[in-house]
Amino acid sequence: MTLEEILAARPSPGEPRAYNFPGFERTVLPSGLQVLAVHVPGRPLVSANLIFRVGAADEPADRAGVTVLAARAMTEGTTLYPGLELIEAAERLGSTLHADASWDAFAASVEVAASRLRAALELLDELVERPTFPAEEVSRLRDERLNDLLQMHAEPRRRVEQAFSQTIYTADSPYSRLVGGNEPTVERLTRDELTAIHRAVLAPDRAAIVIGGDMTGLDVPRIAEEVLGSLALGGSRAPAAPVAGRAPTADSAVDRTTVRLYHRPGAVQSEVRIGHVGLSRRAPDFHAVQVMAAILGGLFNSRLQLNLREDKGYTYGVGAGFDMRRGAGPFGVRTAVQTASTVPAISEAINELHRMRDALVTDAELAVARDYMVGVFPLRFETPGAVVGAIGGLFVNELPDDELARYRGLVEAVTAQDVQKAARDHIHPDRLAIVLVGDADVVGKDLEAAGFGDVEIIREELPGEVGEPGGHGVGE
Amino acid sequence: MTAPTVSFTDERLTNGLRLIVAEDHLAPVVAVCIWYAVGSKNEVPGKTGFAHLFEHIMFQGSRHVAKTEHMGLVQAAGGTLNGTTWLDRTNYFETMPSHQLELALWLEADRMATLLDALNQENLDNQRDVVKNEKRSSYDNRPYGQWFHKLQEHLFPPEHPYHHPTIGSMEDLDAASLEDVAAFFRTYYAPNNAVLAIAGDVDPAQARAWVDRYFGGIAPNPKIPPLGEMSVPATLGGESREVIEDRVPLPRHYFGFRAPCFGDTRLDALDVAAQILAGGKGSRLYRRLVREERIAQDVAFFALGFVGGASIAAGQATVRPGVDPDVVERAFEEELERMAREPVTDDELARARALIETFELEALQRVDERADRLAMLATLLDDPDLINRQLARYLAVTPADIQAVAAEVFRPDNRVVLTYMPEAGPATHVEHEEPAA
Repeated sequence: MTLEEILAARPSPGEPRAYNFPGFERTVLPSGLQVLAVHVPGRPLVSANLIFRVGAADEPADRAGVTVLAARAMTEGTTLYPGLELIEAAERLGSTLHADASWDAFAASVEVAASRLRAALELLDELVERPTFPAEEVSRLRDERLNDLLQMHAEPRRRVEQAFSQTIYTADSPYSRLVGGNEPTVERLTRDELTAIHRAVLAPDRAAIVIGGDMTGLDVPRIAEEVLGSLALGGSRAPAAPVAGRAPTADSAVDRTTVRLYHRPGAVQSEVRIGHVGLSRRAPDFHAVQVMAAILGGLFNSRLQLNLREDKGYTYGVGAGFDMRRGAGPFGVRTAVQTASTVPAISEAINELHRMRDALVTDAELAVARDYMVGVFPLRFETPGAVVGAIGGLFVNELPDDELARYRGLVEAVTAQDVQKAARDHIHPDRLAIVLVGDADVVGKDLEAAGFGDVEIIREELPGEVGEPGGHGVGE
Repeated sequence: MTAPTVSFTDERLTNGLRLIVAEDHLAPVVAVCIWYAVGSKNEVPGKTGFAHLFEHIMFQGSRHVAKTEHMGLVQAAGGTLNGTTWLDRTNYFETMPSHQLELALWLEADRMATLLDALNQENLDNQRDVVKNEKRSSYDNRPYGQWFHKLQEHLFPPEHPYHHPTIGSMEDLDAASLEDVAAFFRTYYAPNNAVLAIAGDVDPAQARAWVDRYFGGIAPNPKIPPLGEMSVPATLGGESREVIEDRVPLPRHYFGFRAPCFGDTRLDALDVAAQILAGGKGSRLYRRLVREERIAQDVAFFALGFVGGASIAAGQATVRPGVDPDVVERAFEEELERMAREPVTDDELARARALIETFELEALQRVDERADRLAMLATLLDDPDLINRQLARYLAVTPADIQAVAAEVFRPDNRVVLTYMPEAGPATHVEHEEPAA
């Protein structure tokens, strides 16, 4: 055969190898702590994640930022390991301790050789149970956070994210702010507040330790019980507030399409976000929504990419999707476009939102999206870290244990009608927030003329241009 | 804990294509990675950004694959993919469910054999716009965005192929013609200029049969032009400094040094030094500048390995508000110079070794990383087996090795210091325009 004949014939796939999401074993300790152990053969590096089902969305508004700051301050020293000794002890095990908080969870994690699992869990226990929150380290971390917020204002892609959340949510929703809090509350945080939140929220009966890797020869539930069984967090905490089933306020502040433009003189691109309040992870039509979002803006050849990138060349990349949390996280189209293309790019993006609602997706579009999500599933879970992360997500969102085992079947069952219904139910082109960071002197007039909605232009002082070190305030 | 050995086959087809296959059936997943020995170092003045623009063209279709279809077919098969361009090379990779391996091989072969059949002005113009937007979004519209390009300019003389940025210039991108693109393809995208690595759930005999079938008939290019002289003196020969005013709220220093080439064991010692200097909260720079003296917001230090004359060792420190940037620079440089003056402690070295061992083990868990490393080591060093010796080399680094490489590299006459300062524009007052009625 000639090379031409060989290449003219597309190969067909072989027989797929069976794949099942690894099953996990659940043990509930007397304290209420759940031990979720998952055996991943041939992986000598074990991943352990201690998760508390409470996060930044649960903190009081006047102390916003306290959960993230507390998590980050926990590695700054404990009763037995003052200062950096805890970090150093972990490093001697070849391991790095991480502690951080998200909207819905507070997590401390470690990755370590299976033979050193017990020693690593002992450090994790120490980190969670006996942090000392040294006042001067807390104030340093707080100042670093404030400096980071200062930097954020100069980075268009971070600034636009913050502005987008602030625009779409009412002020009483935690999601209107950054997960680590904004300046007015962060700058008032002290050691006492970190200590208080640590005592109040970290309770074993809302926690799970998820451990994954090659467990050959290890009795993981027993090790976990011996090391973490007495985890009680000082015993001085208030009774755990009910968390199950409760979702944070996530009301929309936008009732008709509006445009908000943050002026950056001379910007060569406009950072653009278009969207509104979206969905909770517990939405019953989760799988249909994910297929719809993949076709709209998730796949490399999504409708938005084919239009804005491959056809028009307006952008290096455009995506869209739902950030699903315990409460309704945002739905957004995200892109950066060259300044001159700002208005046409927004028009095309909005057209694509309408098109998802107005007509059925084609069989070919549906097949690519479903086949991708089903086929890529085993690739997503190649390492214990990824498996542990996914099981942790089930715990945080209180989803059934077989959620991941059922995932591929549920995706395969999604029809074109389901996709259209998901678009009609969850995409609202009549009440979009269109938020931009770009050059108002170039695009402001065109945005007004385009008639998307009322246009508000915000000319804010950029911290770097004021030349006054230490000032954190940014007027709006 | 011992790192698993990566066993592999290493053969050449008669047309010069090098094929490396590493079999491992843990997960039903296989990675395909193809490295072409062409990068921005092969570009000539007036045609910068070409290797990278070309990488985009490789996704625009070939004789049997339509525009955007490459991405569509891989994703519909449940795979992931991308391509990247760097100074020394261009690579393309797919990670697939293992029963879809043949599709990935066919796609790579079709574009190596027949790309020019699908090349047209419309695709070139479209991808030129996409790349210009990539440049705007990754460099031009990003605070501190040009730091690496600046280091390249300072560390290598204008006639050196590492002097210019991989993304190129807007002018050169505008000037790229269809004929330029076609000539670039004919010159460099030949089987004898490529290494194909396959790692994961694969039968090596079957893989070899497929590779023979799809790639075996592609003609080599016997006349790949050799690169010019790339060697440079080991040190810069004098400190080089630049102050850049930018729209940034906090000043930041970037430091750059010429360093030993990729593959040199002295670069291993420099990697260990970088871990001790800035690898996490237990490191020297973090401890002193961020935690104790509180003069920096963040610090970093790392080495980027290159084969053509010198690597780049780079560091950064963001200055905290109200702190004199000179104080931060001095403290940073003192810590580098201390590495040259006195040996690291046993405990520091033990911690760095333990962490590096975990990082290596973590990286080699993944089939895509294994395929990428095998192709990289074959392309740049003709030594794919280094994948199995690299960890031992790191663990063999001694305090004396670290001290020696620090003394060679961290010299004031080998140093570039870039200082970003907030623009001294007129302070603007905040005004709030009301929505138009």
